[in-house]
Amino acid sequence: MKKLWRELWKGVFSENPIFFIVLGLCPALAVSTSLQNAVGMGLAATFVLVCSNILISSIRNFIPDKIRIPCYIVVIASFVVIVEMVMKAYAPALNRSLGVYVPLIVVNCIILGRAEAFASKNPVLLSLADGIGMGAGFTFALVVISFIREFLGSGKLAGYTVIPGFEPALVLALAPGALLILGLLMGGIQWVKSLRS
Amino acid sequence: MGKILAIVISNLLINNYILFRFMGLCPFFGVSKQTKPALSMGLAVIFVLMVSGVFTWAAYQYLLLPFGIEYMRTVVFILIIAASVQFIEMVILKMSPSLYKSLGIYLTLITTNCVVLGVTVLNTEDFFSAGKAISGSFFYAALQALSAGLGFTFVLLLMSGIRERLELADVPESMEGIPIAFIIASLMSLSFMGFIGIKI
Amino acid sequence: MADKLVVSTSPHFQKPGSTAGIMWTVNVALLPAGVAGVVIFGFSSFWLMATAIAFAVVCEALIQKGRGQKVTISDGSAFMTGLLLAFNLPPHCPLWVAAVGSIFAIAIAKQAFGGLGRNIFNPALAARAFLMAAWPQHLTVFTKPFVYDAVTSATPLHLLKEGKAADLADMGLEYWDLLVGNRGGSLGEVCVLVLVLGGLYLLWKGVISWHTPGSFVGTVALLTWVFGSRQGFFQGDWLFHILSGGLALGAIYMATDYVTSPITKKGQMVFGAGCGVLTVVIRLWGGYPEGVCYAILFMNGLVPLIDRFMKPRRYGV
Repeated sequence: MKKLWRELWKGVFSENPIFFIVLGLCPALAVSTSLQNAVGMGLAATFVLVCSNILISSIRNFIPDKIRIPCYIVVIASFVVIVEMVMKAYAPALNRSLGVYVPLIVVNCIILGRAEAFASKNPVLLSLADGIGMGAGFTFALVVISFIREFLGSGKLAGYTVIPGFEPALVLALAPGALLILGLLMGGIQWVKSLRS
Repeated sequence: MGKILAIVISNLLINNYILFRFMGLCPFFGVSKQTKPALSMGLAVIFVLMVSGVFTWAAYQYLLLPFGIEYMRTVVFILIIAASVQFIEMVILKMSPSLYKSLGIYLTLITTNCVVLGVTVLNTEDFFSAGKAISGSFFYAALQALSAGLGFTFVLLLMSGIRERLELADVPESMEGIPIAFIIASLMSLSFMGFIGIKI
Repeated sequence: MADKLVVSTSPHFQKPGSTAGIMWTVNVALLPAGVAGVVIFGFSSFWLMATAIAFAVVCEALIQKGRGQKVTISDGSAFMTGLLLAFNLPPHCPLWVAAVGSIFAIAIAKQAFGGLGRNIFNPALAARAFLMAAWPQHLTVFTKPFVYDAVTSATPLHLLKEGKAADLADMGLEYWDLLVGNRGGSLGEVCVLVLVLGGLYLLWKGVISWHTPGSFVGTVALLTWVFGSRQGFFQGDWLFHILSGGLALGAIYMATDYVTSPITKKGQMVFGAGCGVLTVVIRLWGGYPEGVCYAILFMNGLVPLIDRFMKPRRYGV
């Protein structure tokens, strides 16, 4: 039981996929313009991650080693198709604002990475915990980044103006600003890490 | 003519895949420490883009649309891309084993390079309308794939030149590695903003 | 002692004078343009320059102290960054915008790379591009010259871009106005006369060489002559183009910055030409009215590659 809990929590903090393992950067920058997008993408990716982790873990002893990567990709892609269809039907506005990054979940390095590094070598229950943990960590990171970007870049949070009269730095809602924020966040984290050691 | 120029400039500069669409960031940070591997990676990506661009267009036009299974786009496209990468790997291994070795795992990772899947998906969004290919669709799709690859390679090269130079600099410890790479990308992205609104 | 052992790419050119000597020489050359800015646009220009410089210098001192390094603000480079940033801003730009810009220029575009000599992009221009993207509403409001209470007026390049004027006559100006600074524009860019005089001083002192500014201005003149007129080729008003916008300021003082431009003379010509091409492309066909800032920044990014492919001859090898 303790092991389960550990697998779950590591994904959120100590082995956060974006801040520490540095994977899944593409959506982190692209969809972090608003909190809604961040949460939406986070949930979608977590769903795919958890499902693919479970499935891959269940069939891990039957996949021939040589073709394991294409197998993982087919599994992941199928779940992404499901997510795409569900989103188109029940959350069309979210689907529109996430755009091409929804199908791109299939090449999200985190999902393939966890399949290769964990789900293919561990039992189903642990893989489930790993999936939930990594997905939660991914969503958490997205929320942090979009909180900063939405607030400083458009003066709003989840679409609501917070401080009247605040002149937002529009650049943060754009590409250069995203790269800047992520660079400063990573730098801050590296600094904190170096203080610890 | 105008549309051709618009596609090239858009994919190469204004909506550059790395600096504005944030695709292909993993190899961007992973292979950009030196110019030679950066150039090789860029060329490999261009190859994969051309091959998979052609086949995914064909798959969409002759398989997915006629049978009404556009929703299978993601699965079909990623399989075609994986196959293209396998093909390119074999070609490179035959032509230049040392190149194959220097690219290492990053060659296989082109399969998960967001640029490739991104371009193939965008081709279907941009050059098909209401379930039909617009006129010149195939040509535009190939052109978009080529320009996207060139833009990717160009930025990768720029980044590698800069990072090579930074090897000799005294970057603060907390910024070393990934953080300063992001800062560089941010400043590069700022400089590319000058191309916004170009209409020749 | 350790920071006297500098490992850097060759050749190591020996110039008379220390880094501080060179920096302050350039600052001296820039001062007349600052004075012109005050004369043309009013005392608010002085406060803008003071704010930008103060924040740049203090920011650098704090960062160097925090890193445990020797504080080198007396070398004049932070002063110059602040001054150049102010020169690139509209004269009535809010002071807090300039302050943020200076902090960005020093902390991010300079110190994050390792400090003086290590940055890739020109800090003042990087800051200006950042401010333009962050608060465009403050970076695009220009005022009438010689009217000290801010009265908005469009710059010549703006009028050209928006199609409101086809040439100088339409704007009610003459070449002399452009030379002397009787036009709207950024604080330090309008008085071309004083900028050129400062440039000649720097050439005489051996601080800059003619290669970069020469190829930059020359390329702009050539391309605007060929492509610049709506009536057809080879009819463009090239004199208008080299006297307007930030070209004089950029070509003489910003593109020539040692740190962010090529080492070899051939490289400098390529660099200058590249800046020229991009400036003209943006001015004639791009969305922005002026392209000097983005042109130089873009070419800054290419400098490591230019240096790599134009390595100087190693004699005797």
